[in-house]
Amino acid sequence: MKSFISFFSSVKLAIFLLIIITLASIIGTLIPQQRSPAEYVAQYGQLAGLFQKLQLTRLYQSTWFITLLFLFSINIIVCTLTRLTPKLRRLLRPKIEKEAKRILALKTKDKFSKNWRLERSKEEIKKALLSHRYRLKTSEEKDQVCLLARKKTLSWFGSDIVHLGLLVIIAGGIISGLGGFRKSISLSEGQIRAVPEADFQIRLDKFETELYPNGSVRDWKSTLTVIENEKPSLTKTIEVNHPLSHKGFVFYQSSYGWDWKNPAVEIHIKRKSDPSFVRKIEVKLGEQVPLPDDNIVISVKHFVPDFVINENKQVTTRSLQPNNPAAFIEGFRDDEQAFSGWIFAQFPDFDQIHSQKETDYRFELRDFQASQYSVIQAAKDPGTNLIWIGSTLMMIGLVLAFYWPSREIRMILKEKEGRTEVIAGGLATKSQETFQSEFERIMNALRRSK
Amino acid sequence: MNESTLFLITFICYIMAAVFYLFFLFSKKGNLAKTGFRLAFLGILFHTVALGLRTVESGHAPFTNMYESLSFLAWASILAYLLIEKKYLIQKAGPYFMLIVIALMALASSPLMPKEATPLVPALQSYWLWLHVSVTLLGEAFFAVAFITSIMYLVFDSQEKKGKTSSPTLTAAKLDSISYRCIAVGFPLFTLGGLIFGMVWAYKAWGSYWSWDPKETWSLITWFVFALYLHTRIVMGWKGHRSAFVAILGFLAALFTYFGVNYLLVGLHSYA
Repeated sequence: MKSFISFFSSVKLAIFLLIIITLASIIGTLIPQQRSPAEYVAQYGQLAGLFQKLQLTRLYQSTWFITLLFLFSINIIVCTLTRLTPKLRRLLRPKIEKEAKRILALKTKDKFSKNWRLERSKEEIKKALLSHRYRLKTSEEKDQVCLLARKKTLSWFGSDIVHLGLLVIIAGGIISGLGGFRKSISLSEGQIRAVPEADFQIRLDKFETELYPNGSVRDWKSTLTVIENEKPSLTKTIEVNHPLSHKGFVFYQSSYGWDWKNPAVEIHIKRKSDPSFVRKIEVKLGEQVPLPDDNIVISVKHFVPDFVINENKQVTTRSLQPNNPAAFIEGFRDDEQAFSGWIFAQFPDFDQIHSQKETDYRFELRDFQASQYSVIQAAKDPGTNLIWIGSTLMMIGLVLAFYWPSREIRMILKEKEGRTEVIAGGLATKSQETFQSEFERIMNALRRSK
Repeated sequence: MNESTLFLITFICYIMAAVFYLFFLFSKKGNLAKTGFRLAFLGILFHTVALGLRTVESGHAPFTNMYESLSFLAWASILAYLLIEKKYLIQKAGPYFMLIVIALMALASSPLMPKEATPLVPALQSYWLWLHVSVTLLGEAFFAVAFITSIMYLVFDSQEKKGKTSSPTLTAAKLDSISYRCIAVGFPLFTLGGLIFGMVWAYKAWGSYWSWDPKETWSLITWFVFALYLHTRIVMGWKGHRSAFVAILGFLAALFTYFGVNYLLVGLHSYA
């Protein structure tokens, strides 16, 4: 046990671990994390196997990295505790200095004589120190009073509070890692979905995309209703940066998409021979619509939002964004295919229609509509509150450590021939200059007072 | 006057400040350093107006792309430097520090940086944009001052060892303590702005306070290096050379977090 404590109370070990953790973190940013094995083989070739064996591809979740963090935490706990005990003793059972020699060995010091009796000196000095918000402890002997005045002693514990905060954050991280989960839920308007691991459901009432005048996305907004025991209990419109919280679950606006499987398209039909001829039809995928003024029936067989021909010479979609929408239409006359082909929303003049006979018709894909769905991320992260508590502690600790300088004044008052001989010395952890001037102010005021 | 004119005037002020500081370095006339200080101060006034104007025109915080963010970092750096110079009388750091600022301003005005204010993507529409970026960059500005004073420490120290005392007022030992003071300001700011506000915002926008994204990891690495600086110094009593090296390393880590991550590594945090 003793050797355990002495091993982990070493600051050198802490620094060694900190350097190792830092280097490991750097490696983790250089090797992309959590990709598929194929990607690593493509990027690193034969090294890929080694990387995976050393868990470098999921470094921050690896056993060895977590072990390092664990050792580091023990190190912080032991280091903090071993340094805390003497500080607590100094706070609760302070030693009052009785040796004038040692007070005069301090950097900040003063010595003067006053024509007061000891009792009077003691009261005046106490009053002066109290007015500067010092807390006092005295030890009185026959012809000598020893005084210990301190303030802002909380400063000593600044670093301990920072360490405590860090440990709370690490604990929060462990709890998040063990008990947290996140899952994407896709919802179309009106749809209800159960929330995994929860006893309630969510319904998407409304989803809208707001655009800037230049067409870029301003915001996505989903109006969600929480349904408990088949009754709606809470409705809130969420957007990016404004999630909904309910029973430990948080719902984020994460993404969106279109249901391209069931689009409705608007087609304008024109005649090459007659520019004034325009017919508009609206047709859903798979639906057949008769063309007015002719015995032709038109249907849309395929629709892709982002037309591309892949390496197998097949039509597919490059993305789910409507970057290059295209529809494959067919025309039937008396149950016989009259024409078929792709038409493009962005290239209305690009006529790809094949027909048995020369056709007078031209087709333009003018509009398309698909219902949008919203992707909501449901997350449960029981460690989050600890993170905020730890962060707050850390900031309090940092402010105490850097900007709350502790001050200590030690004094010995001796009565000699009806006068008091005053010996004073001061100690400050930080901002020595400010303390020096405060010390001088107090002493000079005492010297001058009648 | 529009924002780009103000930016140009600011830039000219900083360049002139650098020139005066440089003359001061060679002639040792205190008045030149004073003029340098006043020009830098005038520059930051124009700069403040330029940033304010941009905020009003774009309707959002002036650090949403690399141009804005560089300009703001230059502003924060000048602010940090002027405060430190006023307090610790380190006029000799002026020419070197102004070089960093000029480099930032030059990068910001390079044609590689798109300057037009674009509407905010949904993830950036949050008041955490103000809190997270401004506090972080202010912290990094103090790291930049510590970087310069640490390099100066190394130079001054080697001169003092040769028996040349370059200045009666500014000694190597004083530079060492100023570096520490700067880090004592920068470290809490960086912890609050970079890590804590960053975590809060990530939690609100992405649904997770920490995802080991390269930008997050590199800010943690930067934090580790400065934690190392503080512990080796306070607990193990390091001073001088070794401390200066850690401070320099810390600033380089901060610089990589700010710059390198965006251009060299891929991640979520792709704004600036």
